[in-house]
This record gives sequence, C-alpha cells and structure tokens, in this order.
Amino acid sequence: MPNRRDALSAALTLGALQLFPALSHAQARRLVFATFTGSWEEAHRDVLVPHFRRNNNNAEMTLDPLLSVDQIAKVTAARNAPPIDVMLHDPGPALVAIGQDLVDPFPVASSKHYKDLIAEAQDPMGPAIFFQAVGLTYNPEKIKTPPTSWADLWKPEYKGRVGITNLNSTLGTGWLVEVSKMRGGSESNVEPGFKAIQELKPSLAAVAANPGALATLFQQGQIDISPGNFNAIQILKARGVPVEFVKPKEGTIAFKTTAHVVKNSPNKALAAALIESAMSPEVQSRLMKSPYLIVPTNTKVAMEGDIQKVLARDHADLKKSFVFQDWKKINEQRASWIERFNREIRV
Amino acid sequence: MGQAASGVAGRGASPLRLALPLTLFSVLFFVAPLLLLGMVSLFDDTQMTRMGLAQWHKLLGDAFTWRVLGSTLWLGVKVTALCLVIGFALAWAFVRCPRWLQTALIVVIVLPLLTSVVVRTFAWIVILGRQGIVNSVLAAVGWIDAPLKLLYTDGGLVVALANVQLPLMTLPLITALQKLDPNLQDASAALGAGAWTTFRRVTVPLALPGILAGCLLTYAAAITAFITQSLVGGGQMLFMPMYLYQQASTLQNWPYAAAISILFLVAVLLCVSLFNALGRLSRGLAPA
Repeated sequence: MPNRRDALSAALTLGALQLFPALSHAQARRLVFATFTGSWEEAHRDVLVPHFRRNNNNAEMTLDPLLSVDQIAKVTAARNAPPIDVMLHDPGPALVAIGQDLVDPFPVASSKHYKDLIAEAQDPMGPAIFFQAVGLTYNPEKIKTPPTSWADLWKPEYKGRVGITNLNSTLGTGWLVEVSKMRGGSESNVEPGFKAIQELKPSLAAVAANPGALATLFQQGQIDISPGNFNAIQILKARGVPVEFVKPKEGTIAFKTTAHVVKNSPNKALAAALIESAMSPEVQSRLMKSPYLIVPTNTKVAMEGDIQKVLARDHADLKKSFVFQDWKKINEQRASWIERFNREIRV
Repeated sequence: MGQAASGVAGRGASPLRLALPLTLFSVLFFVAPLLLLGMVSLFDDTQMTRMGLAQWHKLLGDAFTWRVLGSTLWLGVKVTALCLVIGFALAWAFVRCPRWLQTALIVVIVLPLLTSVVVRTFAWIVILGRQGIVNSVLAAVGWIDAPLKLLYTDGGLVVALANVQLPLMTLPLITALQKLDPNLQDASAALGAGAWTTFRRVTVPLALPGILAGCLLTYAAAITAFITQSLVGGGQMLFMPMYLYQQASTLQNWPYAAAISILFLVAVLLCVSLFNALGRLSRGLAPA
C-alpha cells in the first residue's frame, strides 16, 4: 500500500503539471492566437476559428484574448519558448514587436490571399487582417445636428459634455495626432494638438483611462460627444444605447490591425495558415456582416451593410476617406507625449 | 504550542524542517521575483542591454514622481479616514444589535466582498454619472439646476473607494468591539464618566488594535486599487498603479516601471511600519 508521503508527492506533481501545463507540453502544444478582448474574440471564435479548422485537418487551436501591449509583454518574457504563436497588433505595438525582433516574416510567396489585400494592408512582417476606424461619436437624442468635423468638439454648446481618452490607447494617441494635423502639426509635431486639448479642458466631462470606458460614459449620459471606435459604437447601438458614428470631413482615422507569426513559435506552419484564413474573402465577408461589422482588408470583399452606409461605399472610397498615420514617427516620441499628457492634462 | 512542537520533534522532524516548504515557496515566488525586479530597474535602456542608474536618477530627480506618489498616499489617507468613520459607526451598531439583526447585518457587510470589484466600481459610475442617482435626486429636490460633475473627481473617487474597501475596515472593528467587556463601560459610567469620556478613554483605547488593523488593510487596498482608481478617477488623475501600468505596458519601459514599483513598494512599507509602530505604542496605552 502506498504510504501517505508518496501519495502527497504524487498529488503535488500532478498539481504542478496542472499549474504549469508548459512542463508537460513543452514540445508540442496547440496553436495559440492572441486576439483582442471582447467583441473581437467573439468574432474570431465564431468565424475565424471554424474556418481555420475546416481548412487545416481540424487542427486544435486556442484563443488567448489580450491587449496588444500585454501580448508583447508575454512574448518578451519567454522569447525562446513563446506561449503565443500569432499576435494581433495595433500599428504602434506592431512596430514595437517588429523592432524588438519578436516576429518572423509571413511567407508571402506561398500565400494565396496576400496579393489581394489593399496596398496599405500588405506588409510581409505582418499583413493587416482588418481595419479599425475612428470617427466622431455622438448621442442623437441630445445633439440634434450631427457633427461633421473634429473641430466641432470645441463648440461652446458642448461645454461639459465632451469625452476623450488619455494617450495610453492607440485611439487616444491617434486622435491627438489627427487634431494636431488639423491645426498645422504632424506625426512629429503635436504641439498644436496639446494646445487644442488645453482649450478643450472646460468642455471635458471625462478623460477616460481607456476607450472601453467611453462606451460606459455614453450609456450613463456622462458624455454626449467624443472620438470613438466604429466597432465599439456599433455594439453599443445594437444594445439600444442612443449613439451614432459619423466620419469627420477630415477623414476617418484608420488603424491597420496586423497579424504576426511569433518568432520561435513551435507552430509556424499553422500560424501562417491561421493568418491565411483571416485574410480569406470567406472569413472577411462574414466578419463584415452584422453583428461583427469588421472592416475588410481584402479587395475581393465588396462593401456591404452598415460599413458601406457609414464608412466607405467601396474600396476606392475607403482609400480616399481613411487616414493612415505614420506610426513609425509617432512611436519615436510617444513616450514623451504620454509624459506630457500626464503633467499637463491633470485636474 | 511548545508541546506540539516537541511532540513532532520527537518523531524526528524539527520545526525548522517543517517550515522549509513554506520558506522555499516564499523564496521562489516572492523573494526571487523581487530581486529580479530590482535587477531590471538597473538597466539604462528599454532593451535591457546597458546597466546603470539612469532610471533611478530620472525617477528620484523628478518632482512629478513625488507629486504622483504624494497624491497616491494622500488618497489612501482620505479613504481610510472616511472608512474609519463609517466603519466604526457600523461596527458600533452591529455589536449593540439583537442577535437576529446581527445575522442580517453581517451578510450586508460581507456582501461587497463577494461581488467583483469591477462590478462594484461600475455601480459607482451609475451612481455618480451626470444622469446618475445622486444628480437625479438633487435635481428632483430642486437643489441643483445643472448636473454636478461627480464622476472623475477627487471626492467621487474617495467615496467610491471607501465603499469598495469598507468591509476591510468594518470586520476587524467588529472583532475588536465584540471582545470589549461591556462591564468596563458600565464601570466607567458608574464612576461618573459621561458617554463621550467613556468612548474616548475606555472604548477607543481598547478597540485600538482593531482600528489599526482595519486602517492598515484599508490603506493598503485603497492606494493599490488600480481598477477603481482608473474607472472612477479617470485618465486625468494619475496615481502610482496607473503610472506603473503606463510605463510597463503601454510604453514597454520595464526598467523605469521596475524603478517605480520599487519606490512604491518602499513607500507602502514605510507607511505599514508606521502603523505597526503605532500599534506597539497603543498596547502601552490600553489599560490592561
């Protein structure tokens, strides 16, 4: 009969294996895709994962929903045995990941769909699998004349009702750059943008710590107008919250969202196959429809529904109205901007 | 306890050996990461290739850091003070309630601990918003014409944090007040002391260990409450946890973030030892 000590150590070992599954699966593990949290995860679980599995002998895979920056932290902490095979990034973090040598190039030559992507989406270090669009968001019950320009946020009638976010997010930083451009600045000069935010201070009802909080603030009537992410707004709208999205006449701020094969991934072939799936017209056209409303990057996908109505009639219109920012330049100074925002925009 | 220990020792295991697993666990999962954190803070660049003291120079030489640290520690003081006032009243009422009411009351007191902090914090967004409960009531009564800005203000944050951390204050206070012999208060009254004198000279000194324990827990929880601070405080108020997150996550500047966290840790430890010193002092104060 085994004694108590043996039983205990066996239990401890089993427990440890449970706690650190990497110990037992160091060699072979299933494909891990770090998507974004919330509606993105939902969309990828419902559409992308089934498509990938159908086309890859039913290969097992796991979604690990994380913010871009947290994905980088997780991979950096284990460069040689990364716990993620495919990362999903906003433009700023994508350049950081590439700069820190965390990603491998996507095998463009053997790809079927890569060449069909819009020019802006083509990047061998990580093709864009969808776009995010940032425009003006407002509450149509409170604001009867729809805003048309970023400049409208400064209108005196919106005093105490405007929401913005700090620069921690891609949205916050991208918006600062766009406002700077509107006032004569650029990706390397946001001086005018900071001045503009100072002028906006009396109008501000909220400076949210993250874009997700903006949604709550609309719901609670704390703010009536703000810069907002198209997808986040569509979700709110579908839940019955009175919000509308309009593209400002300066153009919709567009972020390409890129998928990257992680360096040293044990599942490189499957990782590339997943990105292939995400670029395919079948997946992208399904994800464009309600309730997902994710902007496609594949030119073979014709615009439809709300995306066609609100964002871009077709690919030519998208090219014309989407503003892609130079995140290489933005990243150079982003740290100092965040520091400046910390100091100057404090209450 | 001595007997139990010698009993085990008699079977061949010394108390030291029994403590070994826990020690190993602490070294492995607490001391080692802490040392690692210290190491990371000693790199000059974000890629962690050059060693140096640049992060520390930047951090300690910047008045902004001290302002953020100061406002974080001050926030903790305000929350703890508010919790103490409410918590003491609540605990006082609790020990004087009939038993059946106590059962109901303890559920109410502990209930917040059983709900997620995120949910509780969201509730405060609903309460404090422009169309929130507070503003609606004030407008209905006719005290205000335009909604007050409560969310994303210092006052709003203190109230929300105090609510979220209240059980941590109330529970130790209840324990302390329950142990208090009611005869002592009667004796004090019989000897001619008024209610206030009895409270000040008998009740409070005897409850002091509970007060200190409650303050310590509330204080530590309030200054590190990242979720509530960012959701109710917003992006315009910067406290140490958010500062740390910003540098570590958004900017991937681990060395600077490590320096911030060590500074914060040291500051919190200093506050905790201050509380402990007060605790030792209080033992002398309480007439045993």
